[in-house]
Amino acid sequence: MSNPSLVSRRSLTSRIMNPKYIMIYATIGIFLVMYLFGAISYGEQGFTTLRTITNLFVDNAYYGISAVGMTMVLITGGIDLSVGAVASLTGMFIAYGTTVLGLHPLVCILFSLVVGVGLGLLMGWVIHRLNVPPFITTLTGMFLARGVCSLISRESIEIKHEMIDSLASWKIYFMRLQDGEWVKVKPIAYVNFNVILFIVVLIAGIYILQKTRFGRNVYAVGGNEQSAKLMGLPVGKTKILVYGFNGLCSVLAGVAYALYVKSGWNLSLMGAELDVITCAVIGGTLLTGGVGYMIGTLFGVLLKSMIPALITFNGNLLSWWGKIATGLLLLLFICIQKLVLGVTGHKKTASTKPIKE
Amino acid sequence: MKKRFDLAAITKSKLTWAVVAEVLILLVCLIVRPDFFKISYQESTGMLYGSLIDIVNRSSEITIIAMGMTLVIALGGTDLSVGALVAVSGAIALKFLRWDVLEYTTPGDYTVCSYALVLIVPLAVCLLMGLFNGLLIAKGNMQPIIATLILMVCGRGIAQILTNGKQFTTGYSPFRVIGQGSFLYLPMPIWITAVVVAVVALFVRKTAFGTFVESVGINRSASRLSGINAQLIIFIVFALTGFLSGISGLIYSSRIMSNDSNNAGLNYEMDAILAVVIGGTSMTGGKFSLAGTVLGSIIIRTIVTLVYYFGIASEATMAFKAMIIAVVIVLQSEPVRNYFSKRTKKRAYAVKGGIIE
Amino acid sequence: MADHVLLEMRQIEIAFPGVKALNKVDFTLHAGEIHSLLGENGAGKSTLIKCLTGVNKKDGGTITLEGKEIQPQSPQHAIELGISTVYQEVNLCPNLTVAENIFVGRQPMKHGQIDWKTINRRAVELMSRFHLNIDVTRPLSYYSTAIQQMVSIARAVDIQAKILILDEPTSSLDDHEVQLLFDVMNELKKEGMGIIFITHFLDQVFAVSDRLTILRNGQLVGTYKIEDITKVQLVTEMIGKDIDTIFSLKRAEVAENEKDMLTADHIGAPEKLDDISLCVKKGELVGFAGLLGSGRTETAEMLFGASKITKGEMTVDGKKAEIKKPYDALIAGMAFCPEDRKRDGIIGDLSIRENIALAVQARKGFMHPLSTKEQNELADKYIKALGIATPNAEKKIGELSGGNQQKVILARWMATNPKVLILDEPTRGIDVGAKAEIQRLMLEMCGEGVSVIFISSELDEIIRCSNRVIIMRDREKVAEVDGATCTQEQILAIIAEGSTAARGEAS
Repeated sequence: MSNPSLVSRRSLTSRIMNPKYIMIYATIGIFLVMYLFGAISYGEQGFTTLRTITNLFVDNAYYGISAVGMTMVLITGGIDLSVGAVASLTGMFIAYGTTVLGLHPLVCILFSLVVGVGLGLLMGWVIHRLNVPPFITTLTGMFLARGVCSLISRESIEIKHEMIDSLASWKIYFMRLQDGEWVKVKPIAYVNFNVILFIVVLIAGIYILQKTRFGRNVYAVGGNEQSAKLMGLPVGKTKILVYGFNGLCSVLAGVAYALYVKSGWNLSLMGAELDVITCAVIGGTLLTGGVGYMIGTLFGVLLKSMIPALITFNGNLLSWWGKIATGLLLLLFICIQKLVLGVTGHKKTASTKPIKE
Repeated sequence: MKKRFDLAAITKSKLTWAVVAEVLILLVCLIVRPDFFKISYQESTGMLYGSLIDIVNRSSEITIIAMGMTLVIALGGTDLSVGALVAVSGAIALKFLRWDVLEYTTPGDYTVCSYALVLIVPLAVCLLMGLFNGLLIAKGNMQPIIATLILMVCGRGIAQILTNGKQFTTGYSPFRVIGQGSFLYLPMPIWITAVVVAVVALFVRKTAFGTFVESVGINRSASRLSGINAQLIIFIVFALTGFLSGISGLIYSSRIMSNDSNNAGLNYEMDAILAVVIGGTSMTGGKFSLAGTVLGSIIIRTIVTLVYYFGIASEATMAFKAMIIAVVIVLQSEPVRNYFSKRTKKRAYAVKGGIIE
Repeated sequence: MADHVLLEMRQIEIAFPGVKALNKVDFTLHAGEIHSLLGENGAGKSTLIKCLTGVNKKDGGTITLEGKEIQPQSPQHAIELGISTVYQEVNLCPNLTVAENIFVGRQPMKHGQIDWKTINRRAVELMSRFHLNIDVTRPLSYYSTAIQQMVSIARAVDIQAKILILDEPTSSLDDHEVQLLFDVMNELKKEGMGIIFITHFLDQVFAVSDRLTILRNGQLVGTYKIEDITKVQLVTEMIGKDIDTIFSLKRAEVAENEKDMLTADHIGAPEKLDDISLCVKKGELVGFAGLLGSGRTETAEMLFGASKITKGEMTVDGKKAEIKKPYDALIAGMAFCPEDRKRDGIIGDLSIRENIALAVQARKGFMHPLSTKEQNELADKYIKALGIATPNAEKKIGELSGGNQQKVILARWMATNPKVLILDEPTRGIDVGAKAEIQRLMLEMCGEGVSVIFISSELDEIIRCSNRVIIMRDREKVAEVDGATCTQEQILAIIAEGSTAARGEAS
């Protein structure tokens, strides 16, 4: 005889204290610590304004969009090194398409989607059917995308199209009431299309992972692929689709980046894939697979973006210190991960004796 | 125990396919440029000259690193930091060569610090960084891909900080010899590579070190319980890889007689990993082949050369490199190899007149 | 017990290159019965089962389920047909919650979204049918193997499987957990499910089965009702040899004043074991008896340096030994065959030769390699001595059967000519014939002066071979009894009561 109400009451507190969430608390915690540090050190220079936070989003939305897809790939235990290249290629398609070929940007974006998702699905198929390790497969995919990008143009091409211009400059300003009138918050804080796109993709990611069978299959495949297969789950379809979805995210990230810099260049976003992976890892996603949360990734992106922001506010340091700081941050997080998993992770219940009622 | 000529096993071996691929590519080169295999003597440099020599010469930096990377992959890991270490090595060497230079001055045929320091310190630092990787992996129990990601992110930053963001140039002749000198009519890098390959091969195969690496890579726990000091093996492998990256860095900066921290070693880790994989070592760890790696590195360089000789503009180099690598990888994948192996087996049985039980 | 035929496999044939794995085998399963499938390794049990679960394709014969002919194409297809399997290595996802593992792939949906509330509620209901009141929202990895197996069975039950295949489910369970499993199996039996039970534990076969089928060398030996066959008959049918000749093994002879080869004086390690002392004479075989988790493996690991001791001292062959890692133990003349040979023993992709030579090579260090000739000599010597079934020494150890793998690991340690050999469950998961061989080898080594520590969960083995038996319970040594005069009941009583029974006089 079971007591469902007892179980559900217990599960709320135990759900919060669930060990797998501890990593995310760590991420959020360190983010707050860094914010506090910035507030204390650079409060006078305006660190504590709303603009700082909104700029984090505006300047790094494209990373965030890519990180959503990457998190999903990492949860399956795979990796995708092609995201930077595909995003860059998207920008090139848009730039070349609109400026040189005179096509409408939507056509270019549509074309990019076909290419990006297609490449993703192809890589997923090679990984699953031909058993080539994801590292190598997506590395080759990266070379392919960069190669095509270089083929189109060796120089940077500016994007000049009214639709792009208006989309890029579209902003929602944060307002507040002053003397009965709505005025813009000073210093000016806004979100733009990129940020909205990021939030939409993020929410889609959360929904897929938590509320759809496909999302749960992603976790299952990452937890133990062999078991997932024996349990009758569609492992192949899941893996292929995950890479396809990541391709979609890469293209959307490329669109966001193109709106951000308003140009296409074959050397843009070099090494961005590792930045994205770093964001996911800092956000609590395990590279071994099976564990990862979108919320964590969100804070991972914010955390990582905080570093260049702090350096800008400091004004004295070479930007290269940012790279070192990011590396140290990564080290810190891995150590925390080890500690947390070691303490709480694989504890068996002391008693296997059933509790007879 | 007699060993028969096992055709089926040979067609199944990855190394075979690598050899086939290289021969095919060389043949295509020959078709495109009939004088591809020609070697001539060049008065001005006192060296032999020709495409084949050029391929071996230009692949030196990768081959040297790939020697260490082979062992890393045999352990079941990856070392992403090698490219950054190449940059660090060059930065330190140039710093020691031109210590007093704060402004841009004409590079002269001199070195500020003793030449011994110019050579030893970069190698020592890279060795230490390799040891740092080893520490994180052996003692900290971290996954190699994450542990080395830290230095990959930080490394270039460190290189830039060391030279204060400046790019030095030098005209010191003994330093020039490393990358541009010759010995017995062949370019110096080829000799350096040959020595490195010989030393590593001897160490790995003439002692039981290679077996221990394979053992630890396949099953670290069982190896430890058999009395193998797994931690020591890990330390040695990663320190060695760091050291080799240092050598590669010296060659690279000697070729351009300056330190280019932005471009030095760029994508080297990817090329090195590719060389190892094409050469037949599996990314899951275990059995490895140094000969295969050397061949793999040469294949990559041959592809680049082929693309150049096809008259394909350098823009397309990467795309073609990617396509050919994609073909090689597909050919090497398990299902494809099994397919060819089965066909050879069936033919063998039919020839023998036996019936498959 | 219902007689309604649920599953009928007729004249099943499967051939692999060079070997006929199944030769016209018949097997029937009734609804509401527990049917054990027995046979040595290589007899064809797993091949037959893989036919049913869609992993192997059969070359001949038919499979009929409830009157309709079926051809399982894949694990998923087999599940759809109503055939569920619980493997020894629990085939669930450790990162998902208990509830989710039960429902993944077929989660109930509400408004196009996964209905988590229903999943959790129904999971609680299912687990309570097995009298388990656990938090179903915790990740599966949080729970012990026994509970995980129950979850696996719960999944099968919820899918409304008609046939449940249990493949070696009890290997990592203690007696209490085994009983729990049997209770569940009996419950499911009453509901009409057909259960195929594969195991090496003959006592368990007799405890729970209705009928049993024996395979040998890919052929059907016979199908029997449980009341129609005895244990001795069973073993004879399985290995085709007379059991008495196999088990006519004699204990080692140890002189009274023989010197101590290994002593451990109040050694302990944090989170492993607080304090234990023991000694083993030269040429003596000391058995370790006790339940799972009683600390036997932990003791072995401390002795061998796999776990570093923080207190106490050890001596080997009269000399003080500082053992901080396995290499130190190896140098001192010790050897250790771990319990989980797959995780801690075999180096799968290396050849038999390389596996056998490994410890000897480790002792020499990598700067002093053994020549190929020396390695081959070692390999050939032990392949012959232990009767390892392989065409040559270059075959990868991962391709051998469990029994042969165990022999290779044993060879690895025997090659080091140890003074003290510690064996942790060396006969687990191995067929009866190989079990006997390993016991014979152990006793031979004792005869040659090697001290052996033998950890086993099978009391008859312990009693048969040991000079002395150390009994452990709850991470402490509770008693030491004489091997020649003790009985199973005595040892069981001591294990059950703990130190109190040991202090009282045993009958």
